[in-house]
Amino acid sequence: MSAFAPRSAAELADWLAARPGRVRLVGSGSRAARVGAPAADVHEVRLAGIATIDRLDAADQTCSVDCGLPRAELDAALQPHGLELPCPGGGTIGGLFAADPLGAAAHGGQSPRSLLLGVEGLLADGTAFRSGARVVKSVAGFDVHKLLVGSEGRLYAATRLHLRLKPRPRAEAWFCRDGLSDADALAAFARLRAEPVGPAAVQLRRDRHGCALVGRIAGRAAFVRGQLAQHGLAEAACAWTDHLAADAPGEVVAGLARFTAVAGLCAAVPAAATLLWHGGGRFEAALPDAAASDALLAAAAALGVHARVVATTHPARRDRGSPIDPGATRLAAALRTALDPHGIFV
Amino acid sequence: MASVEKRLSDLLGARRVLTAPDALLAWECDGFTVHKARPRAVVLPESTAEVQAVVRVLHGERVPFVPRGAGTCLSGGPTAGPDAVVIDLARMKQVLRVDAEDLFAVVQPGVVNVELTAAVRHLGLHYAPDPSSQTVCTIGGNLAENSGGPHCFKYGMTQDHVLDAVVVLPDGEIARLGDAGGPRPPGVLDLLGVFCGSEGTFGIATEITVRLCRDQQAVRTLLASFASMADACRAVSAIVHKGLVPAALEILDRATIQAVEASVYRAGYPSDAAAVLLVELDGPPDVIAEEADEVRAAFAAHGALRSEEATDAAERKRLWKGRKGAFGAMGRLSTDLYVLDGVVPRSALERALDGIAAIGARHGVTITNVFHAGDGNLHPNIPFDGRDAAETARVVAAGREILQLCVDLGGSISGEHGVGAEKLDHFGMMYGAADRDVMARVRAAFDPHGRCNPGKALPSRGACAEPAKWPQMVARVLDAERPQ
Ligand SMILES: Cc1cc2nc3c(=O)[nH]c(=O)nc-3n(C[C@H](O)[C@H](O)[C@H](O)COP(=O)(O)OP(=O)(O)OC[C@H]3O[C@@H](n4cnc5c(N)ncnc54)[C@H](O)[C@@H]3O)c2cc1C
Repeated sequence: MSAFAPRSAAELADWLAARPGRVRLVGSGSRAARVGAPAADVHEVRLAGIATIDRLDAADQTCSVDCGLPRAELDAALQPHGLELPCPGGGTIGGLFAADPLGAAAHGGQSPRSLLLGVEGLLADGTAFRSGARVVKSVAGFDVHKLLVGSEGRLYAATRLHLRLKPRPRAEAWFCRDGLSDADALAAFARLRAEPVGPAAVQLRRDRHGCALVGRIAGRAAFVRGQLAQHGLAEAACAWTDHLAADAPGEVVAGLARFTAVAGLCAAVPAAATLLWHGGGRFEAALPDAAASDALLAAAAALGVHARVVATTHPARRDRGSPIDPGATRLAAALRTALDPHGIFV
Repeated sequence: MASVEKRLSDLLGARRVLTAPDALLAWECDGFTVHKARPRAVVLPESTAEVQAVVRVLHGERVPFVPRGAGTCLSGGPTAGPDAVVIDLARMKQVLRVDAEDLFAVVQPGVVNVELTAAVRHLGLHYAPDPSSQTVCTIGGNLAENSGGPHCFKYGMTQDHVLDAVVVLPDGEIARLGDAGGPRPPGVLDLLGVFCGSEGTFGIATEITVRLCRDQQAVRTLLASFASMADACRAVSAIVHKGLVPAALEILDRATIQAVEASVYRAGYPSDAAAVLLVELDGPPDVIAEEADEVRAAFAAHGALRSEEATDAAERKRLWKGRKGAFGAMGRLSTDLYVLDGVVPRSALERALDGIAAIGARHGVTITNVFHAGDGNLHPNIPFDGRDAAETARVVAAGREILQLCVDLGGSISGEHGVGAEKLDHFGMMYGAADRDVMARVRAAFDPHGRCNPGKALPSRGACAEPAKWPQMVARVLDAERPQ
């Protein structure tokens, strides 16, 4: 494996045009822990060096940033303008949008797909293209930029992203209720969800210590205070977790579950294992062994919940889980062939 | 071998396959009346299975086809050429499932936007995207166009509210593009994201799962009038700058106000104002009470002549009546109305509106404006007489300049109405040949033979570099229709 670290999109375009062979695009490298090292003949392209904020229009609540920009740097740049990128996730901005591991932080909340206004990208042969616009609304042209979300670097390299920003709330408070039974945690969750203005972020974490409910209430100061009081919540330090520890032994199953299916998932995860469910629907479970994963996958199938193995020490078990619709599979393959006909991006 | 029409009749029955020229008249255009063409036939399926069977026949016979909802599109999207069959989905109007706990509904594509909300209102829920055409337009059309509406400033476009869709692909195969739990299960490409807004060119959505929103506890609707458009735009900027996210921020200019007040959509807007700004706030009562104070302060700081607030539901309806009826009111002023749809960064609204006025003056056409100010989404309206080819050409030229202005200011040629047939010539203002080619590849992945709504949304190769041929096209259409 060789590594290449371009300093600009133009440099990357030239390098790709020279047809170097198969390529893995890497942001901050957080995905490597899950998918393992690439094959020996694959070049690793480290995008962290393409990392400027090209434009930050505070009045229009939009910005354009390079793919390698660390999320933390963007957050720091937005803070003085009273703005935020209101979706969870870290690493580089390009990596966050290409992997979209978390979706939204709460039901109906903002996810990377709803914040991505456009991209400047490179096809595997180095051809530069644009999709979308820099303004908050545009339906001109097909949304090739939306295909970035969840593509995991296997369709094209997005070198610049145009993003929608939101004003930071006037006040916010994190809360964490732990040591709850599954039933109590779900009941508390249901009460929060029933609010016309629910928490801005909320997650349920279940491990051998019991269930914990973590969330963020945002809005005007009186509203935030009122919601905390009404739901018997105390303000606490932020205990939000994006992912379960990547080095957990055994297997990790990830999926997408509606709220009413979460009780069933809790029941299918052994008490010693860990389940993390984000209010936007995504979940992860760290399970001790393949048998426990298979039990969870079976429960998920019965609940009509999408779930699959995303990390395992047995390569043959990776991606085991809910069948993906055959029509969607066919379309995904056709899109890969259309945009990367030689299968350069792996 | 039986004709295509005969095979379609065998599938659906003769009454659901229309071929007589008179019967086809109702399908010869959408809301973009400049572009007219009568289709080869119209079919009226009632289920996914019927749509699939129809598409299989057409695919096998290599006949192009065009999906259609209510035909309210403003860019010629559902207008079919004489070789194409229209697949009209208006009969597929069942709400198949409502899940009030997980907050979603599954609907057929012909469900009218406002009827979905009517079906879930008793549960304290609603469907948020609200195009001004919502009493007529369908959820299928909304999905295909990624439609917006006044309340999309806070709640987002259709794309943000669609979770799943069953789609009959152009070769008759079926694909499910999402999941009731969310639009993109992990490990799957965002197929729904790219389908949404594909203007009927990627396949036919026959079952759509949408997110439902809880009704807010309280709503406050305020209206302010201003002596100049610039003041109204600055008030919008001030409101947004404070970090407020109103549910809606809408502006109507003087000519639109006057048209509304002279019509059945009369809303009591002050007819001496150069602009009115409609602001809607929703949320917990004490929260929006504070926000209303801040909005009023922004009105005052920017020289509002007057402001009022709806005190009850009837009042709110009245204030919205003028905004929702603005296109209808404008339509009364002339035989035809060209509704444009450009976007500029919100901070460039004033410059855009000055430029639009100058373009109107230069081309000798009247241009009025009603727009989603929060999103910078302009709708310049140009009333004209479509029987006058010279006037039509001037209107088209002015429209083109307006969209170029939007792009020059950093914006887009369409915020919500789509490219359709109307903006094929304008596509090159935003995109180059490489961008177009990448989009064409994506389209070909869905429709390798290019038979699903051909000639829409994406210009043919090379067109990005060509000058506009639209005025000539319009003249040709008009010539063809002129009695011999
Ligand atoms: C007075 C007026 C006000 C309007 N206000 C707004 C507004 O505020 N915001 C806004 O965004 N738009 C607005 N529009 C435009 C229009 O109403 C929207 O684009 C609407 O979504 C079109 O829906 P429809 O059912 O009429 O679809 P149609 O006009 O029939 O079709 C629109 C496109 O969708 C395709 N299509 C239709 N159904 C399907 C399906 N099931 N599967 C695949 N493709 C399909 C068609 O081929 C066509 O390309 C307005 C129009 C009018 C006339």
